[in-house]
Amino acid sequence: MKKLLSVLLVLCLLAPAAVLADDVLNVYNWGEYIDKQVLTNFQKEYGVKVNYSLFSSNEEMYTKLLSNASYDVIIPSDYMIERLIKENKLQPLDKGIVTDLDSLVDGVKNLPYDPDNTYSAPYLWQSVGILYDSTKIDPAVVEEKGWDIFLDSEYSGHAYMYDSERDAFMVAFKALGYSANTENADEIEAAYNWLREMDKAIHPSYVTDEVIDAMINGEKWLALVYSGDAAYIISENEDMAYCAPKQGTNVAVDAMVIPANASNPELANKFIAYILQPENSAMISEEVGYASPNADVLAELSGPGGAYEGNSAYVPRTGYEKDELFHDNETLKKQLSELWIKVKLHE
Amino acid sequence: MKSFFRMTYPYILWIAVFIVAPMVMILLYALTRTGNSTLTFQFTLENFARFFSDATFMRVLLTSLRIALLTTVFCLLIGYPAAFFISRLSERRQTMMVLLLTLPMWINMLLKTYAWRGILLNFDLASEFKVFIGMVYDFLPYMIIQIHTSIAKMDGNLLTAAYDLGANKWKTFLKVILPLSVPGIISGITLVFLPAVSSFVIPKLLGGGDYVLIGNLIEIYFLTAGDWNFGSAISLIMALIIIASMWLTRKLDRNAQEE
Repeated sequence: MKKLLSVLLVLCLLAPAAVLADDVLNVYNWGEYIDKQVLTNFQKEYGVKVNYSLFSSNEEMYTKLLSNASYDVIIPSDYMIERLIKENKLQPLDKGIVTDLDSLVDGVKNLPYDPDNTYSAPYLWQSVGILYDSTKIDPAVVEEKGWDIFLDSEYSGHAYMYDSERDAFMVAFKALGYSANTENADEIEAAYNWLREMDKAIHPSYVTDEVIDAMINGEKWLALVYSGDAAYIISENEDMAYCAPKQGTNVAVDAMVIPANASNPELANKFIAYILQPENSAMISEEVGYASPNADVLAELSGPGGAYEGNSAYVPRTGYEKDELFHDNETLKKQLSELWIKVKLHE
Repeated sequence: MKSFFRMTYPYILWIAVFIVAPMVMILLYALTRTGNSTLTFQFTLENFARFFSDATFMRVLLTSLRIALLTTVFCLLIGYPAAFFISRLSERRQTMMVLLLTLPMWINMLLKTYAWRGILLNFDLASEFKVFIGMVYDFLPYMIIQIHTSIAKMDGNLLTAAYDLGANKWKTFLKVILPLSVPGIISGITLVFLPAVSSFVIPKLLGGGDYVLIGNLIEIYFLTAGDWNFGSAISLIMALIIIASMWLTRKLDRNAQEE
């Protein structure tokens, strides 16, 4: 009797795995970066199971991929896709399944890292900018000063700085008129000193995602944020406004790719095509606040009656010559992360 | 005897796969630099030199040691009287109190730390103080339980004898109870100091981005900077500090027992 019971229990444990084993799609995406309903709909429509896992940085995703974990669809950022392509870690998309890439906005397709979108299909995109409390700071001042507002000791104790070395250094590089991808030692040194001055002038709190709730509650006046988060914050707190400085900023695209070792590439292609459909892209974009790559969806959501009507942060700036994508550069990244620790520790 | 020895094989295998192998890998990474495609490994000590020659890293190390030490001292100051008080209660109440103490330990540390973050958000405190509060809260039960066990297992006749010989309560405590509870104090210190010095979630959640302890430094080098060699070197330095402090406490323990 006991034996029978234990056999039964073991079977119960195995059963779910057996039922679902036929068609499973492993998706690996950023945290809080989807409308869960879209996944549910996809599972129903295709009769499959989606295993949805999360990462919090491109590097974390890359490390996981190095350990031979198998995923079917991953959604990293541009510079990381550049590296994955260079290292032959991706397989081309099936253009018979993933069609209508032509209908996407110009700023997100055929980018230098993947000129014909052979490997990647845009998911959402964004720029980096300044979110500020328009009841405390005059918009004209923000427009005029741009990034240099972070050097103004008038805002001491009232600012958040995003805790990411590449974004912080991008701000310094752009404020000084350099490229965000510079490798020039003097320019890096100058940017490091710019950031140290920033640290002394405004004593910012170094935060990551906490900035979203904090700015919705209006805890500080000024923050470095991603446009997608800004759009969401502004939709919750109308006092907040967004500015992409004239000195130029970073534009980033997160795109869907299929790893070379994917176990279910056909379903992966179907999933990508499904996400690209305007109604699904709209659901995701509306939920998270980041811009859809689809021109019609962008127009609809930012137009009259759309969820982001009149929201200054929702649609990222395109075609501005001083805006740049990040390039993959591991040496630079190492160098910047070490300098960034020193900035944060007030050296 | 021989057949019993066989039962340790799974444990030896476990140690080999999950403790020895990763340690060897850390050692290997720490002593090398990433080479080029023809020469993949180059042995070097530069990772260590880099750590000890940089004022920032030394400061991070000192901050980690300082906060771990402060946490341990505070846990001892709060924990000893608490453990002593509990051991004076009736047996049933003691069980009850120990249960109450261990209750919060059933909750995941991450959740407790998040709760503290919510509470501390409303107070304008220094990062270090917030981290300190979080650490004392999280590690205090380990201290109390260790000390309580050593006091509770003490033979009551010893106390009676001390009173018979004319010692007052204070003297009994100093001459009998305290020396006998030293093993408990020492294992309590070990259980608090070691996790505190390598703590990583608490400073990250309560301290904010500009409060970096050595555990966070390791995370930054592995995940953000992608410099596994230097990250491994820091881990190794960390491991050596832990081994040294374990050796020290064990020595103290032995000295105390000899007396």
